[in-house]
This record gives sequence, C-alpha cells and structure tokens, in this order.
Amino acid sequence: MTSIDLRLLALAACLAAPAFAADAPKVKTGPVKPTPVAADLEAGKRLYQRWCAQCHGDEGKGDGPAADFVYPRPRDFTLAIYKVRTTLSGALPTDHDLFNIIAKGLPGTSMPAWEKFIPEKDRWQLVHYVKTFDELGLFKEEPAKEQVVIDAPPKVTSELVAKGKALYEQKKCWQCHGQGGRGDGPSASGMKDEWGFPIRPVNFTKSWRFRAGDGLEDIYRTFTTGFNGTPMPSFVDAIPAAEDRWALAAFVKSLARPQKTGQVLKAGLVSGEIPADAYAKAWEDAEFTDFPLAGQIIREPRWFKPMHDVITARALYNEREIAILLEWDDGTHNKGEGGKPFDQVALQWPAGAPEGAEKPYFIHGDAKHGVELWRWNPAQGLARATANGAGKEKPLEAGGVVAQGSYRDGQYRVILRRPLDKVSPGGTAIAPGQFVPVAFQLWDGDNGEEGMKMSLSTWYYLLPQPATPLTAYLWPFGLGFLALGGEVWLLRRMRRKEAA
Amino acid sequence: MVRWTFYIALVLWLAILVGLKLLVRPPMPVSVLMIYMTLSTLGILVFVAANEERFQAFVAPLRSVFEARAPKAVQALVLAGIPLLIGWGAWLRTAPSWDAPFEPRVVHPEPPSAFTSHGKRIDAAALKNPLRVGDPAKLAQYTAEGKTIYYQNCFFCHGDALAGDGHFANAFTPIPANFRDVGTISMLQESFVYWRVATGGPGLPKGATPWLSAMPVWQDMLSEEDIWKAILYIYEGSGSTPRTWEEEVKHDKH
Repeated sequence: MTSIDLRLLALAACLAAPAFAADAPKVKTGPVKPTPVAADLEAGKRLYQRWCAQCHGDEGKGDGPAADFVYPRPRDFTLAIYKVRTTLSGALPTDHDLFNIIAKGLPGTSMPAWEKFIPEKDRWQLVHYVKTFDELGLFKEEPAKEQVVIDAPPKVTSELVAKGKALYEQKKCWQCHGQGGRGDGPSASGMKDEWGFPIRPVNFTKSWRFRAGDGLEDIYRTFTTGFNGTPMPSFVDAIPAAEDRWALAAFVKSLARPQKTGQVLKAGLVSGEIPADAYAKAWEDAEFTDFPLAGQIIREPRWFKPMHDVITARALYNEREIAILLEWDDGTHNKGEGGKPFDQVALQWPAGAPEGAEKPYFIHGDAKHGVELWRWNPAQGLARATANGAGKEKPLEAGGVVAQGSYRDGQYRVILRRPLDKVSPGGTAIAPGQFVPVAFQLWDGDNGEEGMKMSLSTWYYLLPQPATPLTAYLWPFGLGFLALGGEVWLLRRMRRKEAA
Repeated sequence: MVRWTFYIALVLWLAILVGLKLLVRPPMPVSVLMIYMTLSTLGILVFVAANEERFQAFVAPLRSVFEARAPKAVQALVLAGIPLLIGWGAWLRTAPSWDAPFEPRVVHPEPPSAFTSHGKRIDAAALKNPLRVGDPAKLAQYTAEGKTIYYQNCFFCHGDALAGDGHFANAFTPIPANFRDVGTISMLQESFVYWRVATGGPGLPKGATPWLSAMPVWQDMLSEEDIWKAILYIYEGSGSTPRTWEEEVKHDKH
C-alpha cells in the first residue's frame, strides 16, 4: 500500500460518519507567540553539527551516520513536515513547537530531551537553523500565524470515558489502532509515512511512547492537529465538537498501563491447579513485572531496530509445578506465513546449578556456562535447547515443559510451565525461596526478526515466593502489645498518683 | 518559648529526618540514617534534660495524656499511636522483602598489568592513545571519525549526549556509563578506557561481576584504531579530558 492509499483510507475513516465538514465549527485559534531569540545562523550551524547531524545529516535530510541504526528514522527537515504541532492539519509548526520538540524529545524514539544538555538560547538557535533546510521555502512563504487554542480540559469522569469509547468505535479508530488500542487494527500492517518508511499505529496502552506526550491535553492536541506526514489525520472534521475530542482523549488515556519494572519476577503460591487460561482471575490477580528489552547488537547479525521494548511476566506455583505467563503486545500476528518470520518468545535459564552469583553470558551463554532456552512461537509451539554461545545450540526434548499460547486483541499471552523439582535432561531445580536467574528474548516477525535479530534482556531473577513466616508477624505484634502493656501500667500509676 | 519545648523538639526531630531523607543526594543508606537519627535524638534529649524547667515543659504534654488531663481524642491518639508505631517499625524490619540478592560490585576495578586485544598482548602501563596527536587538524579528523563510530555502535546505550541514557539504556542493570559524570572517564586514563572497551563486560575481573555487564567485547567488532578514535570522541563529546600521569607528576611537584 502506498502512503497515498493510506491517507485516503485515513480520510475515509474521518468521513465514515455523516460528515459536516463544510459547516463544521472552526477550531479556536489564536496568534502565534513571538520567537524570543533572534537567529544567529552561524551559532545554529555549529550546534547542529555538534548535536544533531549524526542522525539528521549535515544537510538536514535525515540521513546522518546513525540514521540507518534507529527506528523510527530521524526526521528529514527538507520537506518541512512535522508531526507534533499546535497548528492546524497540514500547516507548518510554530517556532515554539520546534523548540518544544527539541527540549522534550520524542518519547519512543532515539530523539532525547535536549533541555538537559543544551541551554535554552542555544535551543532557539537550533530552531532557526533547522528551518533553513526547508527546500521549498515554506517557512518564509507561509509561516504559521495561527495556533490551536486548547481550553482547560474537562474533568475526566466515567461518562466522559464511555462517550470516548463510543466515539472510538464510531469513528473507526480501531481500524488502525485496534479494538483494545494495541495498534493491531486490520489496517495496521504495512503502513508507510510520507517518505515511504514503515510506520505503525501507536499502541495506546504504551503511553510512555506517545510522541507528543501522554497528558490529556497532548492527546487532545494530536486529535485536533493530526500528525502531518503520517496516516494519523486531524479529527477536527470528523469530530467537530471539542468536548467530543476531549472524550476521545480521555478514553485513549484510560487505555494506558504504566510500566512496573523490577529485578525479581515473584511467583505467588496457589493452592490447587494453576489455570491454563491466561485470562483467568488467578492470573489477572497475580503480580506482574515489566522487563525492558533492548536490541541484540553484539552477535551477528546485529539488530539495531527491534520492535519490542518490553515484556510483561507473571508467575504462579503450587506444590507440584511452576508456571510463567508472558505477555507482550504485537500489532501483527505472524505465524510464519507470507514470507515473514513468525513471532517468537524465549526464556533463558542457566543450564545446571549456578555457581554462586556467577551467571552465563547473557546472550546464549558461553563455553564454560551454558544456558537452557525455552522458545515458543505460534507456528511450531515449544522447543527446548541448550546453548554454549550464539549458534552453539543443541536441541533438548521437552522434558516436562509445557506451553500454551494465545493471541487476542493485539496481545500474546503464553503460559510456560514445568514441574517444580526438576526438568530432565539439563534443567535447573526451582525451589520456594530460591532465586533463579532468568532472561527474556522476543521477536516480531513483521519486523523481519528471527535468529539473533531480536530484543533481549540481561539476567533477572525468578523467585517462587514462600508464604510469609509466622515469626515475621510475631515481632510486630509482640512489641506492639508490650508497648501497650507499658502504657497501661504507666497510665494506672500516674492516674492513681493524680487521684491521691 | 520554654513551654513549647516538646513541640519544638518534635518538629526539629522530624525536620532532621525529612531533611536527611529528601535533601541528601544520592540517598544515604538506612544504616547511616539510623546513626544520624540516633545522634540527633540523643542531642535533643540531652539539651532538653540539661535544664529542669525545660525538662518539665518537655514532659508536660506527655504527662497530661497519661494523667487523663488532655482532651479525650488526643489521649486516644497518643495511646493507640505509640504501640502501632512500634509494631509498624518492627514489621518493616521483619517483613520479608524478597529483593534480588545483593551482588557487591567493584565499579572501577583494578586494571590488569597486561591484557589481550586483537590477538596481541598489551602492556597496560605503557599503553597510550596513538591517535592523540599534536597536529590539531589530524586530531580533529580522528575525533570526527570517532564520532561516527560512536553513533553507529555506542549511542544506543550511552546516549546521544553521552549521558548514559540512550534509548536501550533502561534495559540494563548496571546502567550504561555516563561519560558526562566526573566519576567516569574523566578520572580514568585512556589506557583504562581502552581496556574496558576492548575487553567489555566479559573482560572484567570477577569482583566486578562480569556477568551483569552488557558491554560488548569491542575488539571483536572494531579495529584498534576505531576504538582509539571512539575514545577520542567520548572525551571530546562529553567535554572531559583523560587523566594522565604527566598531570599527576606536575601536581606532586607543587
């Protein structure tokens, strides 16, 4: 699909409901704020070469030496197309918009918040300099004069969120962003931006990746202005009433799930069976931990542009077995068809008993310390192997390890379980109260990930958490009662004295 | 003033606690905090007890609670509060935290006297950056080449502005080194940095927990020259200068 097709599709999505584009109320705008610092292009150029050219290129074409190593690609400034703006759809950004992008960065990309490193007056020089790359002279000819005025946001109530949910359905936001908002809509795969580079609809549950910020105002602003150069249109025509756009913003914000990272994946003790259904209440109630992932950039082929940035895990155990539920969002369900690799997940354990704190090399172990790998994918199910380094693998029989995977609403949930005592051959013993090193690996087939092209973590721990020992309660209660006793004694003594 | 002794002492005690907890960066270990708070408590008590009138004023509010003269609500609050506070304090100590096992780690390990890089044995003491040349044009060119190497290999973790906060950084514990921090490369010689880059995490001695580091063994991917160029850039880019022996000799003479 070309980008033109997608824009038509997006347009169609906007107009799907009876549209009154012609007599739609105009968005409230106000004059653009003046630029506080005059241009000094020499200084701007020096700063740009210093801090920006590595990604955006010497001539602002988004083709610096690092450009091929990051996703999304760095912005090409020559067409003067900018996503995050306070101006109407299709319009140029204001100087303040550019300034804010430089200052705050773009979450979910490699563009950092430069306010930590570059003083304010220098950031203004960068704004001026970046505008000189505009090949069509648009910043000179038609600079933004008006910007969208955003009124105070309404109070977020459950009614407002419900109204937003209805609009999400009605205006077909799910077409791209998916029913659960995980960027898994029917049109999600194969999207391209204005430059023909791959782009994906945002996953609303990962609010930390929202390019324009995840505040209610930020989301509202994005609906109002649209993201120029991407399939995300302005919804001013499709949803003319500001209060409706606020409702939609409130709904989108309600989908966000904040991250909760940690060093230990704690397995809770359950009596009876561990449910096989990943959506069962016992699993929903189990404590989750998010494990951030990075691209595997050490072993060939080095993989700089991974799609996955996090995997969520929960764990439960009973007297017989332990089960780990792995959850991750993937807008595309790849089962190894259509010339693309399959999506895949893996757990990595040290092979055999660990020696003290020492652990195998975090990428598939080393000659001295091997690892055990459990891989699951929707095409072939579970496979078990040992490895003593990348590519030095030996398959193992399942040996009691069982996997059940499902994909629903843009999310995989895979339960991996094994007997508590030992898996043969080669498995580590897992016992309550014992910390067992574990690492995570994840592949997105749609992004061409297979083999060493993956996201991975370093070592964390799995802990089957024993029930809290009785003595832990004994001390607080004992000391509390002792203090109470002392008080009563003092109280009696002093009151008797008082009375006497 | 004297009649408010109890409340002043209480406010002072709380202020010290909050100040130590919130204002001291980086946060101090609990054991150190305990020492400070014990000293503060003793100091306050000694000050209060040094003067009879002050001491009486100090115990007066407590006495009024125990002698049932204080308002009923205050009595209930204090009498119930003390055992609860003590019980809670005990719970904080006995409740199992299930934190990850503590792994003591040497941040700047002793460099070896010799190590292997690119198949050669290298004497660490004699190692110098051969590209740190006197000719400014040449140096600038090497540094610029180092910049490209940095942004194609290092910046994912060590960051665009060399602050250890690249877009992959949060996936790693310990976090990638922040080159802007005066506690990192600016207190190290270039030979040490070369050793760390060339041999990576797996080249660390055991005391520095090599298995926790995600730092690649760069000699497998970059030539000697490329590593030296990247080192030139990380110093220039972070605005720091390497530690040198010449400098220290000079300091000694002064």
